[in-house]
Amino acid sequence: MSAHPTRARRTAAAVGALGTALALTSCAGGSSAPAGEPETPDEPVELRMTVWTADEAQLELFQTIADAYVAENPELVAGVSFETIPFEDYTTALTTQLAGGNAPDLAWVFESNAPEFVASGALVDLRPVLEGTDGYAADDLVPSALSLWEDGDGLYAYPFSTSPFAVFVNTDQLAAAGQPNPADLVADGGWTFDAARDIAAATAQDTGKQGLVVRDFDYQAWENLATVWSGWQAQPWSADGTECTFTDPAMVDALTWFHDAVFTDGALPEPGTTADFFAGDAAMTITQISRASSLDDSFSWDVVPLPAGPAGQQDVVGQAGIGVFAAGEHPDVAADFLAYFTNPENAAQLAAYFPPPRASLLNGEDLAAANPRLSAEQLEAVVVESVQDAVTKPAHASFAKLSETVRAELDALWVEDADVEAVLADTCAAITPLLED
Amino acid sequence: MAASAAVRRDRLVGYTMVAPVVLGSLAFVVLPLVMVVWYSLHEWNVLANTFTFVGAENYQRMAADPGLADALRATLWFSVGLVVVNIALALLLAVLLNQRLPGTTTFRTFFFSPVVVSLVAWTIVWSFLLQADGGINGFLSVLGVEGPNWLRRPDAAMAAVIIVQVFKNVGLNMILFLAALQGVPEELQEAARLDGAGAWRRFRSVTLPLISPTVLLVSIITIVGSLEVFAQIDVLTGGGPGSSTTVLVYYLYQQAFRFNEFGYASALAVLLFVIVLVLTLLQWQSRKRWVFHEV
Amino acid sequence: MRSEIITAPETEAPATPVLVPLPRRRARARRGLTRWLLVVVLAVLSLPFVFPTWWMATSSLKPMSEILRRVPTLWPQDPSFDAYGRVFTLQPFAQQYWNSLYIAVVVTLGTMLVAAMAGYAFARIRFPGANALFVLVLVGLLVPAEVTIVPLFRIVNTLGLVDTHWPLIVVPVLGAPAVLAVFIMRQFFLGLPTELEEAGRLDGLGRWGVFWRIAVPLSRSALGAVAIFTFLKSWNLYLEPVVYLSSKESFTLPQALTQYVDAYGGPMWNVQLAATTLTVLPVLAVFLVAQKQFVQGLAHSGLKG
Repeated sequence: MSAHPTRARRTAAAVGALGTALALTSCAGGSSAPAGEPETPDEPVELRMTVWTADEAQLELFQTIADAYVAENPELVAGVSFETIPFEDYTTALTTQLAGGNAPDLAWVFESNAPEFVASGALVDLRPVLEGTDGYAADDLVPSALSLWEDGDGLYAYPFSTSPFAVFVNTDQLAAAGQPNPADLVADGGWTFDAARDIAAATAQDTGKQGLVVRDFDYQAWENLATVWSGWQAQPWSADGTECTFTDPAMVDALTWFHDAVFTDGALPEPGTTADFFAGDAAMTITQISRASSLDDSFSWDVVPLPAGPAGQQDVVGQAGIGVFAAGEHPDVAADFLAYFTNPENAAQLAAYFPPPRASLLNGEDLAAANPRLSAEQLEAVVVESVQDAVTKPAHASFAKLSETVRAELDALWVEDADVEAVLADTCAAITPLLED
Repeated sequence: MAASAAVRRDRLVGYTMVAPVVLGSLAFVVLPLVMVVWYSLHEWNVLANTFTFVGAENYQRMAADPGLADALRATLWFSVGLVVVNIALALLLAVLLNQRLPGTTTFRTFFFSPVVVSLVAWTIVWSFLLQADGGINGFLSVLGVEGPNWLRRPDAAMAAVIIVQVFKNVGLNMILFLAALQGVPEELQEAARLDGAGAWRRFRSVTLPLISPTVLLVSIITIVGSLEVFAQIDVLTGGGPGSSTTVLVYYLYQQAFRFNEFGYASALAVLLFVIVLVLTLLQWQSRKRWVFHEV
Repeated sequence: MRSEIITAPETEAPATPVLVPLPRRRARARRGLTRWLLVVVLAVLSLPFVFPTWWMATSSLKPMSEILRRVPTLWPQDPSFDAYGRVFTLQPFAQQYWNSLYIAVVVTLGTMLVAAMAGYAFARIRFPGANALFVLVLVGLLVPAEVTIVPLFRIVNTLGLVDTHWPLIVVPVLGAPAVLAVFIMRQFFLGLPTELEEAGRLDGLGRWGVFWRIAVPLSRSALGAVAIFTFLKSWNLYLEPVVYLSSKESFTLPQALTQYVDAYGGPMWNVQLAATTLTVLPVLAVFLVAQKQFVQGLAHSGLKG
């Protein structure tokens, strides 16, 4: 069971630029006690962090930082190990470890799991440790980036990766089809979803390939449509997570637009059609900017912010967090290590792979140094400005169930003659009991 | 009546010989099963680390769970479809390979090869081929047939999942049938031929009864196996469209590892175990009616 | 034993003199045509079996963009063996190969021993409770791995054996996966004539002597079938290693295959497929060489019926 292209890419996106992570926990419900100053243990302890990356360079960087921490705190820790769990099976394996009483000390947490992990009490409140650590500069953390991981005053994971969604454009295909350059439209304020749809449809007509691809959506991972419906200010459920808003006019309009763009205009691939932008199969794609690493030089490309919808332009970011499990053996030491792992110096190093939630590091030059495929201007336009006011993809304490239920209901929408309002009414009927739980 | 020393010694040898597998079954099959039954009486959220005794609540919940009803319906279709297609194709291939045709060895290798190929690679290729504009429909359009959007239509998705699974594993059943066919005495075939029986008649009346024990065993293994298929569904359809391909194991997996409902998932596991047990007993009971001779 | 009837049945009429009656010759010609038609049917049926494997092997020589082509290409436009080099540099692949190999071999040998003993005892030795114990063992045939993985992990964790190869060896040899092997061996021994064993006893052999010197050598073919089944199962085991193992040096192959991913968790298809090809081809080659043995082994085994 592993990597289906669709799922793998969906996961990759989730993990990738935006980052998500998983976390584990233990302790019974309610918030657990905040992590305190670690008392020096009788003998140095071994820490274990589960991650889903298997990238050698990333793991090497983690290990370098960890080894430096061990060298500075020999009486506290004997070593830190990073355990890679395959992406597809991350949650299964992690959950099995938890169920088996073998919780890791730290773990990456997927964004979509964030509310569930935060609310479960499985994670330790990190705020006291982060704020109490000399030189951590906790006030440098961008507040909007933290909100997903907060419950009351507590901060239950550190969003080590905060990566915006953007539109990648195959400028060769657009030029060949005689279409305007989106970068120019951005400049004169004409970069809207309607414009993107028309360009995509015309280019697809011209190339015989696909137009605009919402990467990793594949008519399954519907939460990725947040990059579209946010332009309508639409949301799947109310901010407090108790009320279904699929039937709100904004959402009906957004999904009607999307449905028609697929089935009437042919601007987006129909269900059951795979098109990989990075392989040159599509004119444009909406994905996280960290996917720039997937580009080779087989065609010329550009990256622009998400288009504006009827309600204006809304940036969307994806995230991944690192949490400390209360059920781990050494939560205090683990939290202390996390404070070291993500301090300003180390966050700057990690920025090579994961856009950090630190205001001081969110500038075009620093990010460009870490992302050679993108120019400082591109990063300035797409990353720096968007992280400040961005929304995240939908999240909920019961997200896993909601995700599955909505997926099954929305399948009725992805046919040519779908009745959008009726499908969305059914969707709300199906998820309302889950939201009220 | 005291057994003689020799008999006692022999018994001791018997116990010693079965000891490893009996003790292993107790430790690695029975004990885990008992633990699962115990878990099924609890509400157990791994994440929140809650483990509360709730008695039969999880079992009551099953009765009222529309998701489970859907899953059972999907499981029924999947298992019936898989077993019928798998056994029929395995028999067909075995009979064809038993004709001493040119290239038999090569074809045997071809049909068996997916058995050793990794499930991952296998399913990925098929997920490409089954796209609306993928290789299968491309091939069909050459024949003038417009193929369906395989993985997006409920009936077609179920058929696609079954077919992909059959191609993956039918080779093993084919080999078992082939071995059985080679055990059918040629004299019987010849006698039937002299009696004027045609090829189909000979197969129906001579071959099939003689290999019926193999057919029984293979169908038991295939049915049990069909109830465990999970990864292919995960990769190809994710249980959709709607819940049309969400079979019981997949549903169980969702409950346990996605929704963190280990108590309910354990109750589903108990249900799955009971279904497998009952099916196997039924088939075993029915063997006298349709199996030609006992092993 | 039925070895005398194992040879493939004759389907052709015996060789006849040149001067055969006309209708007969026409019948033969028709049968010849039918046979070639059947070969064509076999060839067409082969396609869905062979193509995915072919695609897997050839795609390991393709760049990523070509792999993701919707309509697959039959042969790489520009074949390259780069991916094969990276298989070994990105992970301790040789070590992982060795892990899978030695685990599979130990599991296979262990299962053969355990299954031969238990199968023999259940088939031949009368001891009180034999039937009940056999039924107890058969339960293992009915338990999907997903059902017991959580309690098994708890047991393994309690024993302190997480991230060791012990659970991947001990559980298959003694637990549910061995049950099919026990069943096959029991069926085989049930069908074995007792005369040879009785002769051995008259020669003064004890029960163990009969087992080792007579029964086991006679069961070579059934053991061969058990060995192939068991090896394949261990070689392809996925869920268990993912759950039990955590360090790369201890990974097995199916698990290692999923670790060829880029910096963002996206799979590097060509490297993954190259590694997959490296794990599949040797097994396929062994089957190619040993398939006659395999089919006959099964023909001798209880699975034949």
